[in-house]
Amino acid sequence: MTSLHDVSHRHDNQPELRETDRIPPGTPILELVGLQKKYGAVEALKPATITFLAGEIHAIVGENGAGKSTLIKLLTGVIPRTSGEIRWCGKNVALATPNEAINRGINAVHQEVVLCAHLTVAANMFLGDEISSGGIMRQRAMTTAAQNVLDDLGFNLPAGEILGNLTIGQQQLVATARAAMRGIRFLIFDEPTAYLTRQESAQLFRLIRRLQSEGVTIVYISHRMEEVFELADRVSVLRDGTHVGTRLIGETNDAELIALMINRSIEQIYHKEKLPIGETILETKGLSGPGFSDVSLSVRSGEIVGLYGLIGAGRSEFALGLYGRHKCSAGEVFWDGKKVVIDTERKAMDLGIALAPESRRDQGLCLNLPIGLNINLPVFGRLSRGLTISRKLEADNADKQIDDLMIKTPTRAVLASAMSGGNQQKIVIGKWLSHGARLFIFDEPTVGVDVGTKAEIYRLFAELLKQGAGIILISSYLPEVDELADRLHVFRQGRLVASHDYRSASHEDVLTEAIGV
Amino acid sequence: MSTDTTETKVAPKRGMSILFSLTLLGLLLFLWLLLGFATNSFWTPNNISNLLRQGSMTAILAVGQTFVIITAGIDLSVGAVVGFASVILAWLLAAGLPVWLAIILTLLMGVAIGSFHAFGIVRMGLPAFIITLATLTSLRGIGLLITNGSTISISNDAFTDFARADFLGVPSLFWMVIVVAVPAYVFLHLSRWGRYLFAVGSNSEAARLSGVNVNRTIYMAYILSSTCAAFVGILLASRIGIGNATQAEGWELQAIASSVIGGTSLFGAVGSVQGPLLGAFILATINNGANLMNVNSFWQRIITGALIILIVYFDQLRRRGSR
Repeated sequence: MTSLHDVSHRHDNQPELRETDRIPPGTPILELVGLQKKYGAVEALKPATITFLAGEIHAIVGENGAGKSTLIKLLTGVIPRTSGEIRWCGKNVALATPNEAINRGINAVHQEVVLCAHLTVAANMFLGDEISSGGIMRQRAMTTAAQNVLDDLGFNLPAGEILGNLTIGQQQLVATARAAMRGIRFLIFDEPTAYLTRQESAQLFRLIRRLQSEGVTIVYISHRMEEVFELADRVSVLRDGTHVGTRLIGETNDAELIALMINRSIEQIYHKEKLPIGETILETKGLSGPGFSDVSLSVRSGEIVGLYGLIGAGRSEFALGLYGRHKCSAGEVFWDGKKVVIDTERKAMDLGIALAPESRRDQGLCLNLPIGLNINLPVFGRLSRGLTISRKLEADNADKQIDDLMIKTPTRAVLASAMSGGNQQKIVIGKWLSHGARLFIFDEPTVGVDVGTKAEIYRLFAELLKQGAGIILISSYLPEVDELADRLHVFRQGRLVASHDYRSASHEDVLTEAIGV
Repeated sequence: MSTDTTETKVAPKRGMSILFSLTLLGLLLFLWLLLGFATNSFWTPNNISNLLRQGSMTAILAVGQTFVIITAGIDLSVGAVVGFASVILAWLLAAGLPVWLAIILTLLMGVAIGSFHAFGIVRMGLPAFIITLATLTSLRGIGLLITNGSTISISNDAFTDFARADFLGVPSLFWMVIVVAVPAYVFLHLSRWGRYLFAVGSNSEAARLSGVNVNRTIYMAYILSSTCAAFVGILLASRIGIGNATQAEGWELQAIASSVIGGTSLFGAVGSVQGPLLGAFILATINNGANLMNVNSFWQRIITGALIILIVYFDQLRRRGSR
């Protein structure tokens, strides 16, 4: 097998490997000895001693805020450590700057793609070390080289395409290819599959195994247990900034890891109560709009309706159409049996529809504004007395949601951007709980959310259903919709292609319907 | 405790913004003290009221501008609107309309210009930079067409006396700042529409999906900016006693600079009413002080530029530090 660096024809920019002697597989390549990080008086990472062996896939699991991101930042030189040692190939190293980490061959692929959407795939892959001769960039050479790398990795992606035209999942593959091209010895993946479809995940896993076979050490951070068991050789668990244990993958199981992570046993993450199903709240007949066509379905009170499909199958587009964000071109919507036209978001909200959208970052939150403002945004009208907002009502309403949902923040004045994924999702949900609704649309509510928060969200669904609400749950994670949905609709290419009652179809069948083979 | 709470960024909204305002106020007072020592004429009643008059008009423009910048937009046309409004007002007065009616019509013209900007942004999908740049140049053109390239004198003495008058020992122009700033403060910081401006500037899609009427919010911001500019045009006409389309050249940059010195973020969602007011008077003090100290007016421009860089740089440092 040719190595990735050969394919990219880029020997000049390889990291300077100061440690000339190669570390034999199975011996320590990176050792953390009592590594600690304090922010002021708060210990984000309590002294941790973890050893990473050369050529292994080492998974790290933990709830949001367990210290995983702190650990990544320490390893990639983004933040300085408070105390402890980091040994790289047996020698103490500073790892004080991102550049030092990169020069040693330590690299990370982040959950959110941080590349230039307006440049081509090839330009992004070569960003920072473009191939040029005499100051002129050699576009064609770069495109060819990038294409070779992509083909070689088995990613079916065009190197000449503008990055922004690809799906988020595909962009993530580009980011991975970019990291893989740079001559790496130690690669950290931070929740890489959060936005990937199944096929894309499979491609990524192939790449990870291939990098492993080339001697690269992989650190794999994920919330998805089945991925950890599929990929990893060993797994380390973090809880509240403490390293609580490392296990060989063959010597542990789901239940033990979850127990370590949350220090309490969850018998049932998927909280499903059998509730009486009531009257029909909403019905669509042949609803069509941008990205979806001819969708007929209904939601009854006390019911979860699951919408499953690959990313881009039209589920989110349907939700946005129903919510009045996009104009529907055909079809009818009935609310409590009466025909309604929903052409603005306000109309949907006034009827009693709430939408927790797919992307917290792009659609869900005003990130650089306080948590309180985000929670109150739909209800400022109700919180106002005359011309001005009542400070007291505003504070009470935000604090109630923060308490009820156990959002981990000292005050409501903290910016939403400072929160972890799980807490951000809770802010989005809190916004709609305070507004109140009879039909809740949750679009991928558990992406990038840890097990504990997931369980809380599922419990919340049950609460809402008990109060007589109906729920549309959009998810790309089959076990989730399968376990929770009373009725499951499968979307493919903008159409509703199949419907099943609770647990009446096998995973394979549903997946086949979604892919359409 | 977890990392969630350790990397906490507390909103610069209330606590920080008051601190920042106090720092600016401190800077302003420091400049005044310094000029008091450096020159004999700074602390004379004449100069102080002159300073307040100079700063007042920029301050009102800056407040209007701030609404727009908070929505992550920009209004480059305000200087041109000031000049144009002075022409319209003078023209209406020359046509024999009573002063109150001429003022109302001029303000309505401001509303119309702001609506046009918002229309271009919301309906035609133009960047704010482009549509307001276009009106910047065309309004000057229209004003020159109306006046045939000359000026229209205002013969109404009651009107022109207003800008020179004092009330309770304070120039009437400065009172106008208060007349604008108090409702502006209520609007931006105490009402829901102010919150919507911040939400739209932070993430317009999230605001829209939360039921905020984004288009209406954008209309509101640009109408307020243009109306403030038209109001300043009226004050200017009163002060100089003429309507002239080429007046207020470059005032849009003064307004933007005042706003930014006052802590408004050009990326949107950060800003206040008191900040731009202080920013405007800091700029006015520097110009005034430079005049008193006989600093070459070319140098004044350079100093102003350097000061903008310095203050905004320190603000950036502060924001990064609080992270």
